[in-house]
Amino acid sequence: MARERSDQSLARPVRRLMVGVLVLCLILLVLLWRIDNARVERIRAAILDRFVPNMEWAMAPVTSAGRMIDDFQSYARLYEQNDQLRRELQQMRAWREAAIQLEQENARLLDLNRVQLDPELTFITGIVLADSGSPFRRSVLLNVGERDGILDGWATMDGLGVVGRISGVGARTSRVLLLTDSNSRVPVTVQPSGQQAILMGDNTLAPVMEFLETPEDISAGDRIVTSGDGGLFPPGLLIGQVAITPDRRVRARLSADLSRLNFLRVMRSYQSNEVTDPGSLIGPPWPPEPSLSVPDDTVETGELEE
Amino acid sequence: MITKSSQHLWTYRALFLGLCLLIITAKILPITLDQGRLPSPDILLAVTLAWLLRQPSAVPVLSIVIVFLLADFLLQRPPGLWTLLVLLASEGLRRKRAQMTEFPFLVEWGLFAVAVFALILMNRIALFVLFAETDRLGIALAHGIVTVGIYPVVVALSKYGLGLRKLRPTETESKPT
Repeated sequence: MARERSDQSLARPVRRLMVGVLVLCLILLVLLWRIDNARVERIRAAILDRFVPNMEWAMAPVTSAGRMIDDFQSYARLYEQNDQLRRELQQMRAWREAAIQLEQENARLLDLNRVQLDPELTFITGIVLADSGSPFRRSVLLNVGERDGILDGWATMDGLGVVGRISGVGARTSRVLLLTDSNSRVPVTVQPSGQQAILMGDNTLAPVMEFLETPEDISAGDRIVTSGDGGLFPPGLLIGQVAITPDRRVRARLSADLSRLNFLRVMRSYQSNEVTDPGSLIGPPWPPEPSLSVPDDTVETGELEE
Repeated sequence: MITKSSQHLWTYRALFLGLCLLIITAKILPITLDQGRLPSPDILLAVTLAWLLRQPSAVPVLSIVIVFLLADFLLQRPPGLWTLLVLLASEGLRRKRAQMTEFPFLVEWGLFAVAVFALILMNRIALFVLFAETDRLGIALAHGIVTVGIYPVVVALSKYGLGLRKLRPTETESKPT
C-alpha cells in the first residue's frame, strides 16, 4: 500500500528545507499582494484568463443541465400556473362584464343627454295601452293622440332606442308601427363606417338591413342610428347594434326592449323645409338674384352637420 | 511490493489533484449567484485534510501548495495566505499523526476541527495584521462549523467511493523496504 517514504536519512532534512522555502515564498507572495496589489491582481487576472476559458467544456453540460432543471421546475409549476391563470381569467371576465355594463349605461346616458340638449326634440310620454296581436302587424297603441298634438310619422322611443313610428292617430290614442313590422322602413346609418342603409322589418325580432353599399365594412356590434334621410325621423337616434346572422345577412339587434314596452316617448319632429327646386342644389353657386337659394343652403348645411 | 505500493501512491496523488481541480471548477461554475443562508463548506480543505490524516503520502506538500495557490487565485482570495496557513496546518497534522499510536475516528475529526478553527483564526489575525478587509466573524465561524460538519461525509465518500484506506500511524512509520 501507499507508504510514507520520507523518513529516509537524507530525505527528511531535504523535505524540511523544501517546506521552509515554500513557506517563505508564500509569505513573500502575501506581502507582495499587500504591498503591490495591482500587480498581483494582474497576475490573478492572467491566471483566470488561462484557466476559465478552458472550462467551457465543463460549463456547457452544467448550463444545459441547469436549463433542464429550470424547464422541469416550470413544468412542475404548471398546475399552479394554470390555476392562477384561471383565477385571473375569472377576474377579467368580471371586469369585462362591468365594462360592458358601463358602456351600455354610457350609451344610454349619452342618448338621453342628446335628447335633452337638442332644442327641436321634445317628447310626449305615453303609456302603452295595448299590443295589437296580429302576427302580421307589429304595433302598439298609445294613450296619447291628436289631442296631445301627435302627428303621423313621429318617431317613438323607449328609454334607450327607437321603437317605431306613429302611424295612425286617433283623438286620444295613436298607433305605433314597430320597427319589426313588415311595413316598417327606416333609413339608418351604421356608426363607425358611416354607411347608409334601410332598416326593413320582417316580423322577426331583428329587422334586416338592406341596401348596404359594402357589407364587408360592417362588423357585428356596430351602432345603428337613424340617419334622418327623407325627413322622417330626426337623425342620430339610437336604434341598436349590428348582428350578423350565420347566413351572412346583416340584421339589427334593437336596443329598445320590444317585449316589455311600457312608457314610450313620442319625439316631436317638425318637418324640415323641403327642397322644392332641384336646380339650386346641383351646380355652382348662383348669382345673388334668386331668392330661393338662401333657405336651400341652410337646409343643406343643416343636414350635413347632423 | 515496492512497485505496487508506489504505483498506488502515484494513483492516489493524481486522484487527489484531479479531485481538487474538480472541486475548484465546481466552485467557480456559475450555478447559483445567491448564497443560501448557510455558508458553503470548504470542501477543498476537508478533502485535503481528510486524505492527509488517512494516507499522508497521497497528499504531498507540493500538491497542497499547487492546489491551494490555484484556489486562492481563482476564488479571489488573498493569494498565498490561505495556502501558507494550510501548508503549516498540514505539516502540523502530519507530525501530530506520526506521534500518535492510536488513531480512532473521533480523534481524527477532533483534530480536523481544531485545525479548521485554528486556520480561520490565523487567517483573520493575518488579515488584521495586514490591514486587509475581513468578512464578518459570524460568517467565518459558520463556515468553519459547516466545514467540520461535512468532514464525515468526505471521509465516507473517500473511503467507500475511492477506496482510500486509513493507515495506522505505525504502518506509516514502518519502512516497507
